[in-house]
Amino acid sequence: MTVEAASPAPVDLDALDLSDRDWWAGPPSVRYAAFAALRRERPFAFFAEPELPGIPVGPGCWAVTRYADLDAISSQPALFCSGRGAVSIPDVPADLNEFYGSLISMDDPRHAKIRRIVSKAFTPRVLLDQVRAVVDDVLARARRTAEAQDGVIDVVTDIAAPIPLRVICDMMGVPEDARAGVLAQSTVILSGGDPELIEDENDPVSAFLLAGMELAGLMERLAAERLAHPQADLTTALVTTEVDGERLSSQEIASFFILLLIAGNETTRNAISQGVLALHEHPDQRARWAADPGLDRTAVEELVRWTSPVTWMRRTATRDGEVNGHRFRAGDKFLLLYAAANRDPAVFRDPEVLDLARDPNPHVGFGSKGPHFCLGAHLARRELAVTFRALFDQLPDLEVTGEPNRLRSSFVNGVKRLPARLGGVR
Amino acid sequence: MRVEVDRDLCVGSGTCELLAPDVFEVGGDGVVRVLQPGQADEGAVRDAAAQCPTGALGLAD
Ligand code: HEM
Ligand code: SF4
Repeated sequence: MTVEAASPAPVDLDALDLSDRDWWAGPPSVRYAAFAALRRERPFAFFAEPELPGIPVGPGCWAVTRYADLDAISSQPALFCSGRGAVSIPDVPADLNEFYGSLISMDDPRHAKIRRIVSKAFTPRVLLDQVRAVVDDVLARARRTAEAQDGVIDVVTDIAAPIPLRVICDMMGVPEDARAGVLAQSTVILSGGDPELIEDENDPVSAFLLAGMELAGLMERLAAERLAHPQADLTTALVTTEVDGERLSSQEIASFFILLLIAGNETTRNAISQGVLALHEHPDQRARWAADPGLDRTAVEELVRWTSPVTWMRRTATRDGEVNGHRFRAGDKFLLLYAAANRDPAVFRDPEVLDLARDPNPHVGFGSKGPHFCLGAHLARRELAVTFRALFDQLPDLEVTGEPNRLRSSFVNGVKRLPARLGGVR
Repeated sequence: MRVEVDRDLCVGSGTCELLAPDVFEVGGDGVVRVLQPGQADEGAVRDAAAQCPTGALGLAD
């Protein structure tokens, strides 16, 4: 096992600014040292909100870094709600909410009723081995790309992006010709305003709106087709299922459609890219997993803990109260930092060690207790297990050759590019 | 052992189905059904109840 830097450098918590996008694109070791210091010294640390041009700056939020505190908040959805926004620290302007206000930012009972429309499609029993065929095909194409480029490929573009894109588009019934657009729009929507990914750094709201409108337009086209000719896909379920005796409104359908596409793409993509990088940095663990398919289950969980592809979700207090000794007021915002809780030594032995056999592994990478626990958790696990096993078998000589280009966003632990080469190809 | 599902709380996450597939199956309505509690591996069912994200599973002996 590889042990990370033994004693982290001292962290000046007063100088720490979680709203600084560049900090999030910096070295993970710096981030994890800061999380450790927060967990130890300021389990509820108050931070100013990030400034995004066009969105009013709110009063600030509490950063929650201890596992026990995060769990206590997540498991009390009536006291700590999602309905005032779960995926943005500032309150979102109403026009953006039209596209981005789906179930992840809703509360029960409506949340549960809408989620149940698609629940069954994401259960272990129903996920058939469609994932395997997609992965085999993507890796065959990656090999051909490498052959055409002296062995050079990009892990994100050639492997990590197309796998979840094709899987979720197949489930939704999005036609081939619309898929490149889906990937482009979903990347903009979760760019966190990264200037490399949106046209005008000073106007992210327009970029988010435009991307939302594009996807809503696609949904309208598909909705009309599915109403006329129902298919066995999720889009048909969204447009035909009745909740409380009524079909969903077109805004509810559009925002749900967009959520499924984004959540299906941006998460697994980064889990794969970050996973390939983690194995590159821990060659002993890579060799051990490659040799032992019996490790698939625990290895996938450990990669999700280790990479925490979704860094946080927000909750908002619905009334005054106290949680684990911390007093708060109605309207206070809490940032549930999954990436920090996933390395809490109170729960994980040697949390800074990547151990692909870790068991039990009660990580909160897919969220903690509560009704919003990741809808796609079983799908993501399947995608990761199949992808890594296929990488070991079909592209055993894949080697990372350079530094990752990291996303400048606090929300997803993203990688934009990860250069690699395929040995034996020229 | 009796297993009871709170149908208002269950969101059909499938966590229980993963842990005890002989006992739980999420139905087409997105709420879990209990298949055959009698034959259940008790340990797996207790695990499922403990890990259900919404606390929708109640156990009685
Ligand atoms: C490794 C990959 C993934 C990670 C790390 C991840 C992580 C998360 C997290 C942290 C949450 C929020 C939980 C909460 O607020 O309590 C969530 C919710 C959600 N995820 Fe995932 N996710 C992944 C893959 C997927 C996939 C493939 C889909 C497929 C569509 C998906 C769909 C969703 C949806 C729809 C929600 C909202 C559920 C609700 O509000 O009820 N996720 N995910
Ligand atoms: S684990 Fe809980 S929420 Fe998920 S399907 Fe089972 S009973 Fe329902």
